[in-house]
Amino acid sequence: MKIEAYKDIIPDFEEFRRIMATPQPYWMRVNTLKISEKDLIARLENKGFRFERYRDWNAYMIVESPVKHPGATFEHSLGYYYIQDFASMIPPIVLKPRKGERILDMAAAPGSKTTQIAAMVDDSATIVANDIRDDRIRALAGNVERVGATSVIITRGDARAKRFGMTFDRILLDAPCTGEGVVRKTPRKREPDLREHIKFSKMQMRMVENAYRHLKDGGVMVYSTCTYNPLENEHVVQYAVDEVGFVPLQIDIDIPYERGVREWRERSFEGIWDKVIRVYPHRINTGGMFIALLKK
Amino acid sequence: MERFGIPVRIVGDFDFYEYGKGVWATRATTIPSVKIETLGIRALRISGSLKPTTAFLRIVGKYASKNVVYLNKSSGLSFLKGSVIQGVCGDMRGYVVVRTENDILGCGMCKEGSLISQIPKKYRPDSSWI
Ligand SMILES: C[S@@+](CC[C@H](N)C(=O)[O-])C[C@H]1O[C@@H](n2cnc3c(N)ncnc32)[C@H](O)[C@@H]1O
Repeated sequence: MKIEAYKDIIPDFEEFRRIMATPQPYWMRVNTLKISEKDLIARLENKGFRFERYRDWNAYMIVESPVKHPGATFEHSLGYYYIQDFASMIPPIVLKPRKGERILDMAAAPGSKTTQIAAMVDDSATIVANDIRDDRIRALAGNVERVGATSVIITRGDARAKRFGMTFDRILLDAPCTGEGVVRKTPRKREPDLREHIKFSKMQMRMVENAYRHLKDGGVMVYSTCTYNPLENEHVVQYAVDEVGFVPLQIDIDIPYERGVREWRERSFEGIWDKVIRVYPHRINTGGMFIALLKK
Repeated sequence: MERFGIPVRIVGDFDFYEYGKGVWATRATTIPSVKIETLGIRALRISGSLKPTTAFLRIVGKYASKNVVYLNKSSGLSFLKGSVIQGVCGDMRGYVVVRTENDILGCGMCKEGSLISQIPKKYRPDSSWI
């Protein structure tokens, strides 16, 4: 939909619109599997990079880069860091993976979140990373190899129907979506129309059902998208709760975010809207993200 | 890995599986019973002999104590670009871990005194890199 359609649900809409017209800065995360934050930042600063760190997190906004693309360095090729938007780092943080667990990333390519999860558990877990597209799986495998995440097993299949032959402690469903939250990074010719939102929404619901099947009792799932339309977000989570059997959990995270949308085009999301969160670009200069935490 | 003197406590962290044309190293403890595309990271390539991969040496190579070639920054860069480096192999022969003071660059091969780069294309630097 046209971004104006979200005027009533996105707070400080004028500021939102203003920031959407500016280029999105790059963010990056140090790959602590290979190097310490202190050492890498010193090396890159020596080369002329300047960073703004988010609090004491492993999340750095690149405010000055001596090369056009900040990944054009030896350090990047050696797997010492990963270029990843701040908003995209939030779903794994909400997932809270632990060492020794079995974790499924259902739509994983190109692997920003998979490799972040691997770093969070110090490469000591079983991480199954799945995607449907061959070309994107190659990119995923390339990133997994570059960062040195040996705990990752890659599978190829349709997240709506694939059987993984095991159950998991945690699942990340970073679902395919219309991507309205990444247009600052990847501009496009036209906005998605209602039909596309509905098409994705249905696909996402099937994926949620399959996630439930693969989660052990008491296990948790993070559902995330990088789009704004409630049909792909709150609506899917409402379905997950009402029809699939998930229980929505409160998300405890210390970043600027908005609560979910309570009502949208005659649909009401009572019971879940105040648990899910929305990260908007005009808060700390990122892309956009929707995140829900659900328990089986 | 014995060839490089990498301690058992490091290598023992991984499980190794042979499939396809390689031996794969993983720290995953449960392997799903479905078709998989990759299982951790390829540690060795099997093509007649066993050849260590650059990707795996970049993980464990810092623990190597034997068959290690140290390069300075500028020959390290030439090595990454695929050049043959003279005068660094001493009496070493066969596969070696190639590193600079701070970084493990990857796999090399010492043959008749020359160090031949085994860096795969995807890890060779572009001229625009810094
Ligand atoms: C939002 S992107 C995932 C981004 C990724 N999680 C990351 O952080 O790097 C969605 C992914 O879903 C994949 N996809 C689309 N349809 C799928 C399906 N039916 N089953 C599995 N994956 C699918 C796409 O190929 C794409 O890589």
